Amino acid sequence: MSKSIRQRIAEEMTGAALPFVAFCIALNLTAGQITAALKIPLYLDSIGTILVAVLIGPWSAVICGSAANLLAAALGNPSMIFFIPVVAVIGAFTGFLARLGWFRKWYLVALGGLLQGILAAAASAPISAYLFSGVMMAGTDFLVLYFRSVGNTLLNSVLYQGLTSDPADKLVSYLIVFFLTKNLPLRLVSRLRGASNLRTPDRPS
Amino acid sequence: MSARQNLPPKLAFVAFLWVCAFTLPWTIQAFLCLLLVLGRFTIPALRPGSSRAARAFSRFILYSIAVATLVSLLNAVLIREGAIVGNIFGISLHQEGLLFGARTASRLLLLSFSILLFFVSTPLPDFIQYLQEKGLPPYLALLLLLTLHFLDQLPNRIHQIFLAQQARGAPVDSGMISRTKALFSILSPLVLSSIVESIERGTALELRGFLHRPQASQPVEQGRSHTYWLTVLVLSLAIVILSYSIVKWLIG
Repeated sequence: MSKSIRQRIAEEMTGAALPFVAFCIALNLTAGQITAALKIPLYLDSIGTILVAVLIGPWSAVICGSAANLLAAALGNPSMIFFIPVVAVIGAFTGFLARLGWFRKWYLVALGGLLQGILAAAASAPISAYLFSGVMMAGTDFLVLYFRSVGNTLLNSVLYQGLTSDPADKLVSYLIVFFLTKNLPLRLVSRLRGASNLRTPDRPS
Repeated sequence: MSARQNLPPKLAFVAFLWVCAFTLPWTIQAFLCLLLVLGRFTIPALRPGSSRAARAFSRFILYSIAVATLVSLLNAVLIREGAIVGNIFGISLHQEGLLFGARTASRLLLLSFSILLFFVSTPLPDFIQYLQEKGLPPYLALLLLLTLHFLDQLPNRIHQIFLAQQARGAPVDSGMISRTKALFSILSPLVLSSIVESIERGTALELRGFLHRPQASQPVEQGRSHTYWLTVLVLSLAIVILSYSIVKWLIG
């Protein structure tokens, strides 16, 4: 008999997974501080979700992204609450790729990051267009306005804006997570549920 | 009335405002935004829980008003449809663009204000406890509470690692590529220490049997208080407005 979503989430959230997911939610919300301190023009606001998807599993990643957006709304960025479906897609898709073993080779990770970026742009465009008419109170709003002013529809303008920024951001986030997990000691990683996502036959645990 | 007793009508009020944001004309939405800002000072249940929350709300109001004005003006300049309604420094403002901008800005402000006002007036631990009473699994409630704990700790930890790497000569102030490499020297110890801490905390939780503990039984409601009827009233109003808008849309 197939398991319910609640059962699947409960199965993943055992042992070290629960505190680690909590840490990754906090990391999603504070990663901006690291990039600001280093003056790097990256968001990395889904790096925690990607880490959870790889090291724990897709359901935990969906919970991680959703909780991060809920808390971001509570901490002063209210529009984030409407983008919970987008982070759920990011978490589920990354978890799916990790289970397929895509996080074992860097070129598969890069390809996965690009695909994720396209998927994220496609998932967020209808929300951004129909709920907020493309205005997200961010610098990317100017790009939407530019695409509209050259004759595109609102939905297309938001989609084009997403396609210009999301794939690059997700590609970098994926590669960062790949190199981070690659350098983690297997002794520790093996205590987490997603250790098999990183293990290759020629790399004994 | 306690903060947790206020939660059902407040959540209903947020749902009502969301319905208004998608169904009512932009002028009414702008008026509701004004009422919300006034409500933050006059309605006890909507008062910010701390001075920090009050400052965050005030900052957000000022920021969002500036953005709303900018959005309206930029749309009026770039979407060249309808009559010209004015000129700023020789640049024409078009009616359709201005109206589109005003509609977008009022909807965005109403959605944002409603969510932010709910959260600044509701302490997060109270909200999490309320969710748990309504059936949120205990491990998810713990997850959110642990996140609040990490959110307090993480900035300090990041700062400490940053200073340590700087002292060791990591290129945190060099060119872009060097700084990107330095990102790993900060993230790696951060993630590594978090895994170690998670394993310790996870073991402690398992030893205490937290994850296998049966869910606490729901408290029996003692009659229906006036907050219950207020919640029903606000939700009914939202349903009436939504139904009216759908019928109006179907008739054409």
